[in-house]
Amino acid sequence: MSASFNPVIASITVRATLGRRRALLFAIPAVVLIALTLAVRATHPAGSSWEAQILGDFGFSVLLPLLALIIGTGVLGAEIDDGSAIHLLATPVRRGSIVLTKWVVAAVLTMLFAAVPELIAGLLAPNSGKLAFALFVGALVGSVIYTAVFVLASVLTTRAIAAGLLYVLIWEGLLGNIVGGARILSIAHYSLGIANAIYPDKDLNAGLGLSTSLVLGIVVTVGALVLASRRLSSFAIKGEPA
Amino acid sequence: MSAIELTSVSRWYGNVVAVNDITMTIGPGVTGLLGPNGAGKSTILHMIAGFLAPSKGTLTIGGKPSWENPEIYRSLGLVPERDSVYAFLTGEQFVNATAKLHKLPDPDAATRRAIEMTDMAAAKDRRIATYSKGMRQRIKVAAALVHDPEILLLDEPFNGMDPRQRLHMMDLLGKLGAEGRVILFSSHILEEVEKVSGTIQVMVAGRLAASGDFRAIRRLMTSRPHVFNVRSSDDRKLAAVLVGRPYTNAVEFTGRGSLQVRTSDFGAFCAQIAVLTRENGIALRELLPTDESLESVFGYLIAGSSSSSAQGQGS
Amino acid sequence: MPADTPTATTGAAAGVIHDLGYRRYDGPRLGRAQMVRALAWHSFRSAFGFGRGAKAKIVPAIAFVALLLPAVVNAASMANGNGRLVFYDTYQPLLRDLVMTIFVAVQAPELVSRDLRSRVLPLYFARPIKTSDYPLAKYLSFTAACAVMMEVPLLVLYLGTIVNVHGGAEVWAQTRQFIPGLLVGLMWAVVLAAISLFLASLTGRRAFATGTVAIFFLATYTLAEILLQVENHGIRQQQAQSIQNAGHFVAPAVPMAEKVSGLFSPFTLFDGVRMWLSGHGTGQSDNVLYPGSFGAVYALVLVVLLAACLTGLFARYRKAARLS
Repeated sequence: MSASFNPVIASITVRATLGRRRALLFAIPAVVLIALTLAVRATHPAGSSWEAQILGDFGFSVLLPLLALIIGTGVLGAEIDDGSAIHLLATPVRRGSIVLTKWVVAAVLTMLFAAVPELIAGLLAPNSGKLAFALFVGALVGSVIYTAVFVLASVLTTRAIAAGLLYVLIWEGLLGNIVGGARILSIAHYSLGIANAIYPDKDLNAGLGLSTSLVLGIVVTVGALVLASRRLSSFAIKGEPA
Repeated sequence: MSAIELTSVSRWYGNVVAVNDITMTIGPGVTGLLGPNGAGKSTILHMIAGFLAPSKGTLTIGGKPSWENPEIYRSLGLVPERDSVYAFLTGEQFVNATAKLHKLPDPDAATRRAIEMTDMAAAKDRRIATYSKGMRQRIKVAAALVHDPEILLLDEPFNGMDPRQRLHMMDLLGKLGAEGRVILFSSHILEEVEKVSGTIQVMVAGRLAASGDFRAIRRLMTSRPHVFNVRSSDDRKLAAVLVGRPYTNAVEFTGRGSLQVRTSDFGAFCAQIAVLTRENGIALRELLPTDESLESVFGYLIAGSSSSSAQGQGS
Repeated sequence: MPADTPTATTGAAAGVIHDLGYRRYDGPRLGRAQMVRALAWHSFRSAFGFGRGAKAKIVPAIAFVALLLPAVVNAASMANGNGRLVFYDTYQPLLRDLVMTIFVAVQAPELVSRDLRSRVLPLYFARPIKTSDYPLAKYLSFTAACAVMMEVPLLVLYLGTIVNVHGGAEVWAQTRQFIPGLLVGLMWAVVLAAISLFLASLTGRRAFATGTVAIFFLATYTLAEILLQVENHGIRQQQAQSIQNAGHFVAPAVPMAEKVSGLFSPFTLFDGVRMWLSGHGTGQSDNVLYPGSFGAVYALVLVVLLAACLTGLFARYRKAARLS
């Protein structure tokens, strides 16, 4: 099965996701991140490792997954939810192409609104050029993997955001840091593993090595996209026995 | 020539049977799918359109199943009932995007043609969010027609249209059907169906109640016996008088102070009953038809005409 | 004399209206208060997923069980003779923050976004209720729901402790600690409900509303936490140390910058107000450092936040009633 990127779908998806001033809303967390960095830099010229905390805790652990969640579940989920997906599906476009295109749009938008501000904030913070770059790459990787999984979630269930929230907060937030084994199934740790490989930093608390992170990340991404395409092929209009 | 063939198709959701053992063939021309709400019309349409799999039975279009078969959409257009389109696009952008998704060689020309056919040229540059319901229906039809499909499926297409738009849509469907396409649309309003389609398929409670030429079915429905509840000042006398009339099939005393009259000639009975009672000095107190609902009509069709549905297959 | 009528099936003939037996209702009608109560009860139930399928109950169920766990664990540990693990006023902070965030983020849209999306507001407002009754009912019911989520675990904690202590004086001492804990829980419920309902009422799409509420709480929380940690690690140790040394709480000197940091998140505001009102922090499990008299500012900000969200919520429905 060959899937290809479809520009028509991409442009509609971009317009649907960013329409109605939603682009501004997505930009708010990014602005907050950068403002925060500037503010703290002004009041604390040097010293404690606040960079890792702002960039890591806020940018990486909160901003990135949540933005990926909203954008990733929105690109396909919103259309399935309000029924306009049927106009897209009643065409001979391959289901794999639909999933691929939507995922690319979601990943790029997440990179734009989460990874790029992460880089900017990182460069603004003093003494952390390398860390900033490492986290930027980690965030790029995270955007790619997170959005793939969330696109799959939006095909599988209408409550994708609730499920995604549970995953990000409970699984990755609480358990991933407490229970060592949970790291294997934690996208945050794949991204951290890659970031850590570029610039090792104790404060990142990365638990996985580079090769593990890469392999798992690729497996999860490709697996999610393939599964989503299969499920989309048997998309059924639910309910309404009329 | 690809016809739509359903063979013993059933669809259930848990305990609810939405479609119950339906066998029918739909060929070129306009076919109306008629039935009350909840009859299973949308379910059948979604199954034909490849958006629902039958729980049992086979459903093919031109010999190939439509489920999990995106290629079928090259020759199939669907106009869903739900009012959801990309509201932020203009009408023309929407149809144009659909044309491109169908990989048409000349999407702009096809868009122009489709918009003209549905009489949306005046509003094509406005955002769909500003359209009225009837306009939204028409732009959905335009998008479904842009790739010149052989088969067109419409789910309650006349919903929300004013009389002028309705006439225009009926003309359009009639014309498309005359070109040899397979047009299937659903409705619960008899008039809509009778004006446009040659063949109708009547569905009630998931089953096929009648199919075939519309006029034959109409005759069937008017020739069914009507049942009335009559209350008068002297039931016995009225019963004796009615029994003598040719249009009375049966008279029964309900034991609750009323008379139940079964008549095969609805028109004659209605015209005569008042005259009859006055001539015989009986005061007519209450006259209630007991089964005038569309459902009971359809129900009668199911009960009484399983033979005619076997005869009236295809067209 | 009701007349028969030719139906649509037989077309033609003269049209007469068929008496289907429609009857007007002339009995007693309940008043506005009853309507608001009915709406509030229905909303309260849907906050826990009742009235919808099983899938709607998953998240509230998980959240409720998760919140109960510390109480259960505490009871077990006290029964085994180990000390008390969980306190009434702080409970288990991180867990409570996360779980309540998830709960309000997923359930607030169930209350308000669904009605906006399916455009049933005109149906509600075509009844003799005031425009403000609808958000009032929603707010009261969601506050009650959040209160249930907060107070029931505290109650279980209390009962679990009572079972394990002996003597009326001990029971009384426990009760004296329990009551403020209940008040803290109430504060949480009142404010969280206001914020989440307001944010959720801004959109009819449930997914988007959930995302907005979640991002608001998490982002502000992380923000406040970072600001606090960035400022100074040391004071926290000081605080814990002083309790050990002096045997009771000694207010540490906290620089202004850190006091201000705690203003940025509802959760830190809760903690600040709690500590200000109770006069002491409990050392280990605080989100925020002891604010001293600055706590009055915390309380003020909290009240302003509450008022702003409620105003916004009510204003939203005045507008929605006109639009839809």
